[in-house]
Parts: sequence; structure tokens; C-alpha cells
Amino acid sequence: MSNVRRYKRNIGDKVFAAATRGALGLCFAILTFLIGAIIWQGGKAISLEFLLMPAQDFGASGGIFYQIVGSLLLVIVAAVLVLPFAVGTALYRSEYVSSARRKRLIDLALYSLNAIPSVTYGVFGLILFVNIFGTGISWFVGSIILAMMMLPTVTITAYQSMQAISDDYRENAAALGLTRAQQIRSVILPQSLHGIVTGLLIGLARAIGETAPIMFIATAFSGVSVPRSLLEPVASLPTHILALAQQATNPDALRNAWGASLTLIMLVMLFSMMAYYARFKLMTFSRK
Amino acid sequence: MNNKTLNFTILAICSLALYGCSRPEIVSISGSTTVLPAVSKAAQAYQNRHGQNIIVNAGGSGSGFNQLAEGQTDIGMMSRDITEGEIARFSQHVFTPIAIGRDAVVPVVSSEIYEAGVTQLSFAQMTDIYKGRIDNWNAVGGPDKEIFVIDKESSSGTRQTFFEIVLGDKKAEAAGADLVIGSNNEEQTAMTQSDAAIGMLSLAWLNEDVRGVSIVTDIGVIIEPTLENVANGTYPISRDLNIVVRGDISPAAQGFVDYLLSPDGQDFVQNSGYVPVNKPAHSLEQ
Amino acid sequence: MKARFSTLSARSKNSALKTYVSASCLVSAGLVLLIFGLMLVQSFPALSEAGGTLFTTRWNPTDNQYGMLPMLYGTLVVMLIAMVFAVPIGILAAIYIAETRSEKLRRLTRSALEILAGVPSIVYGLIGIAYVSVWVANGLSLQTGRLILTAGLILAIMILPTILSLTTDAILNVPRDVRENAQALGLYRYEVFKDAIWPVAKADIAGAALLALGRALGETMAVMLVIGSIDRLPQPLYNVLSSGQTITSKLGREVGESAFGSTHFSALVLMSLILVSITILLTAASQHFFRAGRHV
Repeated sequence: MSNVRRYKRNIGDKVFAAATRGALGLCFAILTFLIGAIIWQGGKAISLEFLLMPAQDFGASGGIFYQIVGSLLLVIVAAVLVLPFAVGTALYRSEYVSSARRKRLIDLALYSLNAIPSVTYGVFGLILFVNIFGTGISWFVGSIILAMMMLPTVTITAYQSMQAISDDYRENAAALGLTRAQQIRSVILPQSLHGIVTGLLIGLARAIGETAPIMFIATAFSGVSVPRSLLEPVASLPTHILALAQQATNPDALRNAWGASLTLIMLVMLFSMMAYYARFKLMTFSRK
Repeated sequence: MNNKTLNFTILAICSLALYGCSRPEIVSISGSTTVLPAVSKAAQAYQNRHGQNIIVNAGGSGSGFNQLAEGQTDIGMMSRDITEGEIARFSQHVFTPIAIGRDAVVPVVSSEIYEAGVTQLSFAQMTDIYKGRIDNWNAVGGPDKEIFVIDKESSSGTRQTFFEIVLGDKKAEAAGADLVIGSNNEEQTAMTQSDAAIGMLSLAWLNEDVRGVSIVTDIGVIIEPTLENVANGTYPISRDLNIVVRGDISPAAQGFVDYLLSPDGQDFVQNSGYVPVNKPAHSLEQ
Repeated sequence: MKARFSTLSARSKNSALKTYVSASCLVSAGLVLLIFGLMLVQSFPALSEAGGTLFTTRWNPTDNQYGMLPMLYGTLVVMLIAMVFAVPIGILAAIYIAETRSEKLRRLTRSALEILAGVPSIVYGLIGIAYVSVWVANGLSLQTGRLILTAGLILAIMILPTILSLTTDAILNVPRDVRENAQALGLYRYEVFKDAIWPVAKADIAGAALLALGRALGETMAVMLVIGSIDRLPQPLYNVLSSGQTITSKLGREVGESAFGSTHFSALVLMSLILVSITILLTAASQHFFRAGRHV
């Protein structure tokens, strides 16, 4: 009797172990397929010419130069816009608020901003900027909306690095008779610089891949080169991929869609790697 | 962050803001994906010749009108007429539709179905298919295969033209539809991926995978979907391809409209697969 | 400017800084209210003019019919499919990673997950259109692969990394002695998991699942490209092999088409408001579970 039970338990154990191994195997199979498909298909499309030529024939021939430029312009202005607000909010949360309730309230706001679906940001931008403020479809509106989406990430990363500063620093600075403003300028900001930069780069990596927030409010289909002002629409990689994906049976369009996808992912990786680098390099720098 | 970085940031923001305030004269156009190829090619040529910046955006006839009406664009592209509701909502403005070419909406079927013998359909048959009353190809002379009905988004000009002429009601709901698609490109893709589909496409999108069927009239005449039949007015499901402008059109936009209607501009309408409006019909051969 | 700045007295610099930080905090926190408030105001026309038709199954703006049930139902079903595939696979794989002795495998998984997190949703959409929908159509001999099922599968792939990494953390967070005691009792691996780890980690795992659900709910691009965009309830209701529509795919396809100020636009904003409310509730619930997990 007990042997039978042991046997059953043994079988159960084997099945369980096989299931966990199988599940992990499946995950890696999916990953390999995804990355493999993007690199294999994208690699066939990418060349120096592809990266440096403007799109022609609605993207089916030519390259993606203005899309790359447009995507970078969108996120870089977004980063410039988000920086003062994120640093300010993080400083306030870290250095000025003592009431736990107010801290929770700020957290709630940031987590909510983070949870809002990207398409909702697009709808919001369309209502407030494009229609109520009458800005039209433009680079600047796209950047503002992307800045809003980046805000929680940048703020929370910056805040965490401020929290990581040992209170000794603050006490020493206070003992030296530094005012709060001087403390922040000479201690808090330099010591948390790595966190601010890292957060900003993570935010950039996320923002550059977004389609839904910008497709109604910032980008145009054709005829866009480098915008001459912030009020002009831009081209972008994600919306370009969207347009090409819709004609997936046209082999030329599909090839260029993969090329644009691989380029986009390489930009994301570039920002992620810079974030990784910033976390360590700037940290050791500031701790010196 | 030290003072230098802070100063730099402030400087950057200020200069960007200033930079943003000087808006150069651009012409922006958006709307129907049917009209887009011709306008977009013409815009490219016009831009090269006159240095005028023209931005062309897709989105469909409905959004083309809305954006024009709201003042976000200078020119709207529409492959259908403006509705009364649309006019009523923006009664403070005067809108002028300008035909730049003619197009046919063609009932299309998968190449497998075409080769199996379905090369012509009557309005009644198509109505039954879209209303869901016929759901097998064998009812219209094809193989024993379920019909896969592809419909388009309701604001699409292609759909409204097709439904108005074939079903008699441009707002009709298609109970038989299995899939709804946005642009012509997307529809072409979905048609190609299926082997028993029916859909509707602009003449310029037909190819060897997506075959246009002829129309059988009530008295039994068969009309093929050709540019010639569209030009001489015999093909029944045709429509004007319009651009729409608002009363307060800018001189730069007016310049481009004039170009579109000039012989040079009309060449782009023709090589996009449509019938130009400012050319005599006999010049269409080849 | 620099010179002027330093001539300010220390006190006024202090208060200037304080004004700056509290103002930026106010802006950050105010954004949420602004988004909610604006959408609430904008969705009012739909509620007052089309209130009666909102909970029907017919959506036809030209006919003033704004039935949202097909979109709500589509959203629910797509979520369900994504969870049914992603949660068990994610948890099982996480168990393997958490229990393995190979530090190399764990590092490999971690970097793989980071790469996956960097793939933009539009690229998943492209993969859905170019591969998954074609496989589904061919594998099941259907006329199209743009189906509710396909959208669910793509979403499952998209949320798998979130579930996998958070569940791994949850299992690793279980105190070592809990696990070692169970092992000392001679329990088998699945019994160790079931009797010792699961009771401790389940709150965190539930939090992970809810967080992933919230992400999936807001996902637009990939779903929009592969779901087929038909505003109708599937026939019969459990038929996931028909095309459908979710709130996000509806918004992605139709917001640009509707005129600002029209009932049509307002009805779309209302859907967006419903979407945001559910996502924020899910996020709040997941945070609650994570906190509850910490008290055990």
C-alpha cells in the first residue's frame, strides 16, 4: 500500500519536474524565435543605404532615415521636458515630505500614471493639445505626451537613488551649516546624478518604442523630412512599422518593416545599455 | 547636477520654445488611403520643384474631413461625398470638394475563387453575400466553399460608395461580414491570405492574387472593371476622388491644388491607376 | 543669470527651491487628475445622448448606435486567453529557475527577460501579422488568422516575461528555512512547492498575475493588428476562432476617424475611461497583494 503511494508520489514528482522544465524550454523557444525572426528578417533589410535614405513608395523602397531622426527628436525633447519635473518631484518626495500619508499619495499618483494605458495618453493628447489648444499634429505634442509617460519611471529611479544616500551625508552637511538648498545642490543632486541619468535613459528606451500615444497626435505618413519647427509633424519608426505591417503581403513593404523593427530594437538596446553603464560609471564617479 | 548643466538645460528649453514659435508655411493634407497615392506622389514632385513643404497623412475619408474642419490640415482627401451631418457640425465653414480623378470600387475575390469560375456577380448576389443570406460560393456558381466576407470600416469612402450603389444604403450593416479592415493595403493583404474571400477594393489595388469580378446588370450586360469603362461612365460603381478645401484656404495650399489639376499633376492621378479628370478619355489607351 | 542667482540670500534660495519642488510635485500628481477629469467631461455627451444604447451589441455611429458590449466582451475574452496560456507556463518556468542550482541559467534568463522587455509592442504586432496569424490560419485551415485567439496568444507572449520574472522573485523571497524544513521532511519537489512555497508566495504571485493583466489590458498595437476589428459578439459566445474587437483596438482604429465634440468621439472617450479605471484598479489590487505578501 505504502509502496503504491510512494510510486504515485514519485510519478507525480517526475511529471512536475518535467512540466517545469518543459515550461522553461517553451519560454526559451519563444524567445529564440522572436529574437531570431527579428534579427534574421531585419538583417536582410538593413544596410547603410537603408539607414541613411529617405523612405520612398510609401516605405516599400528607400530607407528609414527620417523615421530614425523623427523618433530620436521626439524622445530627446521628451527627456528635456520631463527632467525638471521628475527631479523636482523626486526631491520633494525624498527631502521635503515627512508625512507618510502624503508620500503614499505621491506614490499613488506615480503608480497610476504608470498604469495608464498608452493609447489613453494618445486620446488625452488629442483632446487637450490637438483640439482644445489647437496645436495641430506636431512633434512638440508628441514629446509632451511621451514626457508624461516617462515621468513615473524617471521620478521613481531618481527618488530611489536619493533614498540610497546615507543620512550621514545629510547630517554632515547640516552640521556644516549648509541650508537645505545648499545641501541639495552640493550633496543630494551630485550623489543621485547616476539615478537621474539612469532613470532618464530607461525612460527613453521605453518611450522610443511607443506607437499608440503618438499615432494620433505627432506623426505623419509621408512628406516629412526633418521638421523645421516644433509645430510640424515628424516621422517615427513605430508608426512607420505600423503602416508597413498593414501591407504584409507586399514582400518589399514587409522586408522594410522588419528592417525598421530591428533598427528600433537596436535603439532601445542602445538606451538600455547606456542606462546600465550610467548606473555604474556615474555611481562610482559620484561616490568618489 | 551642477549649475552648468542646469543653465544648459534652461537655455535648451528656451531656445526650443523660441524655435517652436516660428512656424514656416507648410501644407498639410490627410484623409482617404484611396486618394493618398496620387496626392502623395504629386506632393513629392511639387516639393522638389517649388521647395514647398507638403505633409501627407493617411487616416481615411472621415478623419480627412474632420481634421480639415478642425483646422488641423489645409486639404482633406475624400473618396466619398461630404455627408450632411458633417456639414451641419461645422456650419461656420464653407467646404469645397474638388474632383481630382475618378475611381471604381471593384468587388474582388480570391484568385482561387476567380479561377474556379466566379468571374462575375450581380448586385443582388453581392447584397445577399454582405447581408449574410448567401454564405457558400456554390450559390453563385463557384466551388462548395464557405464565403469569407471582408468588410471595411464604416467611415471608409470605398465602403460607403460600394454599399450605396450595390446595397442601396451607404450605412447598411453587413451581417455577413467575417472581418473588418481599415485601409486598402490591409484589405489587399487579408484578401491575399485567404482563398475564399470577397471584398471591395479600389481599382488601383487589383493584382494577380486579388481579382476584380465583372458586374452583371439587371438586363444581363456584363461590365468589366477596366479604366476604360470607368472613364466612359459604363462601370456602375464609380466615384470621384476628391480633395476638400475650406473657404479660408492658404495661398500655399491653393498653389498645390492648382498643380494637382494641371496636366502635370493629373499624370500622377493616372499613374496611380485612376482616371484623370482633366484629360480626354481617348488618351487613356496605354 | 548665474551671478544674480548667487546674490540671492540663502533664505530666498531655500524658498525658491521649495516652491520649485512642490510645484513640480503638484504638476506630476495633478496629471492623473487632469487625465481623468478631461476624459470624464469628454465622455459626458455619450452618457447623456447615447446612454440607452451603450450596453447593447450594436455599434454604428452613422445610426447613433454606440453599443460597447462587443468591445467589453472581446477585451475580457482576450485577457482570459492570455492568462490561461501565460500564467501556468510562467509559474512553472519560474519554479524551475528559482529552484535551479545553475547560477548561469538564472543570469541567462534574467538578461533574456530584459531583452524581451525592450521589444516594442508594434514589433509584436508585426510578428503577429507575419507569423502567428498565418500559422493559426493554416494550422486550423481558416480563412483568416485575425482572430480573438491570435490576439490572446500574442498577448500571452507579451506578458509572459512579467509573470516569469515577478514569480521567480516571489519564490526566491520565500524564507530559506521554510523550504529547507519541507525538504528535510522528505517531501518531493512538487509537495515542497505545494505545501511550503505556494502558501507563502501566493500573494506575490497573484500580484504578479494582476500586474500582467493590467499591462495586457492596455496593450493596443499588437491586438489592433491581429484581432480582425469586427464589432460583434462571437457566435457562439465561446467561439474564439472568430474575429473580434477590444477596447484598445477600437480606440486605435477609430479615434482618428471621429470628429472631436461628436457623440461618436465621446463614446470612444468613455471606453477609454472605462479602460483606465480597470487598469488602475488592477494595478492597485496588485500592489495590495504585494504588500500583503510582505506581511506573511
